[in-house]
Amino acid sequence: MTTIAPPLDATSVAAAIREAHDARTSLRIAGGGTWLDAGRPVRADATLQLSALRGIVQYEPGDFSLTARAGTTLAEITDVAGRAGQWLTLRPHGSLDGTIGATIATASWGPLASDFGTPRDHLLGCEVVTGTGEIVRAGGRVVKNVAGFDLSRLMTGAWGTLGVITEVTVRLRARPELDRTLAVALEGPDERACDDATRWLRSTPYRPLAAELCSTTTSDRLGLEPRTLLLVRLGGNEPLVRAAERAVAELGTTAVVDSAVWDRLSASEPAGAPVVRLGALPTELGALWAHVSRTLASCGGASHATVTRGVVRCILPAAPTSGAIEELRGIMKELHAPGSRIVERMPEPLWTDVPSAVGDPLSSDVHRTFDPNGVLNPGILGHTA
Amino acid sequence: MSHVATGSSSSSVSTRSASHADDGLARALAAIVGERRVLERPGELRAYESDGLPGYQKRPSLAVFPGTRDEVIAVVRLFAERGIRYVPRGAGTGLSGGALADDVVLLGLHRLREIIAIDSENRRAVVEPGVVNFSLSRAAAAYGLYYAPDPSSQTACTIGGNVAENAGGPHCLKYGVTLNHVLSVTALLPSGEVVTLGNSRGEMEGYDLLGTFVGSEGCFGVALDVTVRLEPVPQAVQTLLADFPTVLGAAEAVSAIIASGIVPAALELMDAPTIQAVEASIYAAGYPTDAAAILLIELDGPEAGLDEDAARVSRFCTEAGARAVRLATDPADRMRLWQGRKKAFGAMGRLASHLAVQDAVVPRTRLPDILATIERIGREHGVRVCNVFHAGDGNLHPNVAYDGTNADEAARVHAAMGEIMKACIAAGGTITGEHGIGLDKLPYMDRLFTPETLSAMCALRTVFDPEQRSNPGKVVPVHSCREWHGAPATRARPA
Repeated sequence: MTTIAPPLDATSVAAAIREAHDARTSLRIAGGGTWLDAGRPVRADATLQLSALRGIVQYEPGDFSLTARAGTTLAEITDVAGRAGQWLTLRPHGSLDGTIGATIATASWGPLASDFGTPRDHLLGCEVVTGTGEIVRAGGRVVKNVAGFDLSRLMTGAWGTLGVITEVTVRLRARPELDRTLAVALEGPDERACDDATRWLRSTPYRPLAAELCSTTTSDRLGLEPRTLLLVRLGGNEPLVRAAERAVAELGTTAVVDSAVWDRLSASEPAGAPVVRLGALPTELGALWAHVSRTLASCGGASHATVTRGVVRCILPAAPTSGAIEELRGIMKELHAPGSRIVERMPEPLWTDVPSAVGDPLSSDVHRTFDPNGVLNPGILGHTA
Repeated sequence: MSHVATGSSSSSVSTRSASHADDGLARALAAIVGERRVLERPGELRAYESDGLPGYQKRPSLAVFPGTRDEVIAVVRLFAERGIRYVPRGAGTGLSGGALADDVVLLGLHRLREIIAIDSENRRAVVEPGVVNFSLSRAAAAYGLYYAPDPSSQTACTIGGNVAENAGGPHCLKYGVTLNHVLSVTALLPSGEVVTLGNSRGEMEGYDLLGTFVGSEGCFGVALDVTVRLEPVPQAVQTLLADFPTVLGAAEAVSAIIASGIVPAALELMDAPTIQAVEASIYAAGYPTDAAAILLIELDGPEAGLDEDAARVSRFCTEAGARAVRLATDPADRMRLWQGRKKAFGAMGRLASHLAVQDAVVPRTRLPDILATIERIGREHGVRVCNVFHAGDGNLHPNVAYDGTNADEAARVHAAMGEIMKACIAAGGTITGEHGIGLDKLPYMDRLFTPETLSAMCALRTVFDPEQRSNPGKVVPVHSCREWHGAPATRARPA
């Protein structure tokens, strides 16, 4: 597969896409290249590399919004915003070398979504190049905006199949005065431990920045005591955080842990490990968590759950050699949920078991409208109708 | 502001005027919803000639008010079969002319007002589109929960209308707008097809069709039911009123508060003309009538740490020149302070026969500049602008009360409003933060968006409504849409 010379602006991206559109060839869209093994297998004629399309375009701290080219790394944004006492409250799993464009395109999120929401709640506007090479500027730079139909939301989580994101404007927040993380040891069997955490989060007046339930194996990978733990991240002024800490102690024995634990969690999965996210209502989460724990125990997998969002992320051991693929298929099949099931990564042969995410008539029409020749990341979300 | 009548007037098909092009339509609709729920006589339709913006008046060709989900589906399928254009309407409190039906059928949805379920443990509710915003919060209060988006019209506006407009409100500063609170929608497309958008039980994979449906101003179809997130009622609330001798000082205090990282639940600014209008009305809230501006600041959350935040906010105000900062003494006092803010548009409406309501957003650091610019524009055109707005979001509402029968005055108001919009766009802002484009903002769309972007919006609309029959002529100016290169929608309509 050839790689197309790094485009430096939206115009050159548009030229590359128009050429592919006219020649009826297809493009694999790549940002930092840190997560190219995610999503359904893509067969493309060439790779459109966006990592050169980088840099912060506009940042006025008092506006709490930042505009950056799509290839800008999360590390750079973290650094620049940090100097102004601010942060991008999106910390998806994986490397900080990942790009902001890919984070939005894949709608990737991490534990901070518990309080701050997912990429759709952070994106204020974006510039995209559609599959026909049209440059579209959706949304804007301000925090409230209902002008016209919302193309920004449409591009969020579209995995580049409707358009290549070339620039984004995201909402930032002030770093909390105090940022403390506690690990709470949860007692009892898995279901009860999870239900206790869910109930506490529902009844407490405090609103943690993050509350992530960790399986024994996950805790162990984080260098913590290998048992079921709830990691609670508290932010705010001193009296608020102190009071919240006392409230957390009602749930179980607590220990203060360094905030670096969150970066370790983001980096905790072995390279190439199959990952699937399962969703349920908060009241169904205990049963789901117990089911996942039982299933993963047999193969040495790990899991963690964003309790308030009702999502369990299951991390399997690194992908097996071809001989063990049927065994993995069996485990993956066991990992089902009442609400949603999203596979992040797994060996190519197993994807045939996964239904398309865009096979419904409306999504298929949306796709045809924005990329009629199927130029962009063909098949990464599954096939259209 | 005009609010809608309840559609209880009686009429019969036989006595209807023959003016409607297709008399058979009224008869067919009456067969679905009952004769009383189809209005066709000009006198009956008058109540539906305008929404919350009395500056626009358009008469629907007829109006139909289904009372059940099945009736709505049957009505929309009938429209699809006959190629009928229609405008969905909730309570008609919108402020952009979005629910006006210009000689097309008006589809009123306010009779679908059942709260289908409240799931307190999972903090969500399923409601029909005609449920009034505030009645949901009232019903949820029994569980210690409420619905966060709170447009000023919340005692009248409907959740369906809120979804269509992606409505905001003062408390969206901390809690987000409608989009951030809708988990899923059962939508009835103009074709008559029923689809589920979003996932109320887990995550969503694929295109965020729910995200595009919210705020589509009735152009993508109507909601049959909406699943929303409910928030816990905060443990403690503190409401502060800060009194400033200059508007600039108030704007600087806003910047200081936002920059500090404290996120107030609401941060509202009212200028002298607004304060005076409110204090002269039945909504008098005890605002200082000699102030150049006041800030109404609400902090909420756990009790711990709230006093400290309130003290800091108070200090920021004093440092920016506030003459006084006072804390609401009790819930009744707080209610009174809020009543003045929420009824400010109504109070302005008393000043003259017409009220031009504006809605724009600027980056928050540009607030002091833009307020000075608005003041200058008002002076130059000889119109008195009343500013009352969501300062914490940079969401402005520069409104003008005027005599609409005076052509010269109306022209000056119109010109001033156009210049204000231009200034907001030039400041890096947008032309609407929460009211929508509707009819009112159509002329500004091609100042804000490129032809390619407007074309993409047109193309997206075509996916949901290939014949563009739902809320025709709104949101995107058709003349600015170029030919779209993407494939036309090919999805077959259901039988």
